[in-house]
Amino acid sequence: MRKPTERDALWLSAIGCILTVLAALIVQAAPTRLIDGITVMPTWPLMAIFLWSGLRPQFMPPVAVFAIGLAQDLLTGAPMGVWALSYLIAIAVFRFRGEDGMPRDLPPVFARFAATLLLAHAIAFAAGSFALEQMADLQPLIIEIVATILMFPLIAYLVLRRRRGGRSGFIGG
Amino acid sequence: MASRRSTRHDGDQGVRFSRTLFIALLVLSGALIAFDRPASRSDAFADFRSAFTDIAAPLLELGAQPLRAVKNIGPYFRRQGELAEENARLRQQLIEARYWEDLAYRQRDRIEVYEDALNVDSPAIEDRIGAWTVADPRGPFVKARLIGRGSDAGIEDGYPVINLYGLVGRVYETGRRSARVLLLTDLNSRVPVMADRSNARAILIGDNSPYPRLEYVGRAPDIQEGDRIVSSGDGGILPRGLPVGEAVSTRDGEWRVRLYSDQAPIDFVWVWPYRRIVPPDREVDAGEADLVDPVEAGPATAGTTAETETAPAGGSEPSPAAEDPEGTP
Repeated sequence: MRKPTERDALWLSAIGCILTVLAALIVQAAPTRLIDGITVMPTWPLMAIFLWSGLRPQFMPPVAVFAIGLAQDLLTGAPMGVWALSYLIAIAVFRFRGEDGMPRDLPPVFARFAATLLLAHAIAFAAGSFALEQMADLQPLIIEIVATILMFPLIAYLVLRRRRGGRSGFIGG
Repeated sequence: MASRRSTRHDGDQGVRFSRTLFIALLVLSGALIAFDRPASRSDAFADFRSAFTDIAAPLLELGAQPLRAVKNIGPYFRRQGELAEENARLRQQLIEARYWEDLAYRQRDRIEVYEDALNVDSPAIEDRIGAWTVADPRGPFVKARLIGRGSDAGIEDGYPVINLYGLVGRVYETGRRSARVLLLTDLNSRVPVMADRSNARAILIGDNSPYPRLEYVGRAPDIQEGDRIVSSGDGGILPRGLPVGEAVSTRDGEWRVRLYSDQAPIDFVWVWPYRRIVPPDREVDAGEADLVDPVEAGPATAGTTAETETAPAGGSEPSPAAEDPEGTP
């Protein structure tokens, strides 16, 4: 069997990126309350954007970030532009730069993501309140932040572990 | 912030975060936020939103199907020990329900006779449009659900949405194959209601909590704990008598409503085709509006005609007619 070339790997990554972003958007809007009243939902699209912008930054240009945010606005019924604006700014501020890109250890990735998450939600709250002409509901926003912070280490661990080529070890490797 | 090397690769990963493009997208986002306010949303934006949800509805339906398949797993395992007891209780309830069923048939026949005599044209139960929930996003901005049927099935903005137990909300954004339902718990929801026992009027106002407030009840409202709250039909926005919930009083003397529709997760719903009752002095305007068929003209027209009756508009207060046309309480 032919060994996958770098070009094949790039195509596979691109397909993976599209599928994970789509899945994140669908799960974000899915009626999960049907399963025994699950009402907590992490911000899956932001996780997807953040991790892909660290793994394959060329897949997450500003246009893609904007489009994902806009799709989330439309699917959730939020005023258009709220999540698009917040994701754009948060990713622009906290994205990984430089030749090394995203570190391979979990703590720095987690810390950077937590900052991205807080900034994105703060902007969304302000922009949403402005659009609605009244204060947006803070409680679901806080629940969403907590759920995302709790869920992110697991997702990031799986991604980083795969990136390290399957080597075990929670930190480093 | 945007890279200083706007057109060059940033590291060997090949990322381009063009400053010009970034600023352009920021401006575009800001413009969208400014112009897509629920209070002043234009027809073009409403069209765009509906078209997007129409396209996304099949994908969302795909995502919702597995959830629907496993929706009873949690309660099933949790209540294994209670099943026998519940079964016996249900059998007893079934026996009692047969009596009520007979009574309901008799009442239906009697109502039909009265309606014929009075020439009343109320919507028949079989006219209801069934729809599945395809998206139920949680968020800080809107408490709304997306259902998988739209104007192709005859749904229009403003139609009430009910489930097995009671009123869920109203349609406020209709696409061809999907529609968004504003829930009673949403900040912008305003529904004229009354206590079934005393006919005491009030406005049910959503505040994002699971128990919406009863407002404008007067100084000494004739409302009691546990009173059945139904839609009052005031203002002609909703049909009269749709079950909403039970009155509950809070420690600080406020009246709130425990919604019937919350007894189970909202999955399958019925949309109730309902023509708004127009006061005689506005019949001419309504007649002119009816000349344009909202289905043919697309959701934008439907959205415009229903803009005054649906309540997605941020913070819009109910019209005086909707609040209390009869001057009570």
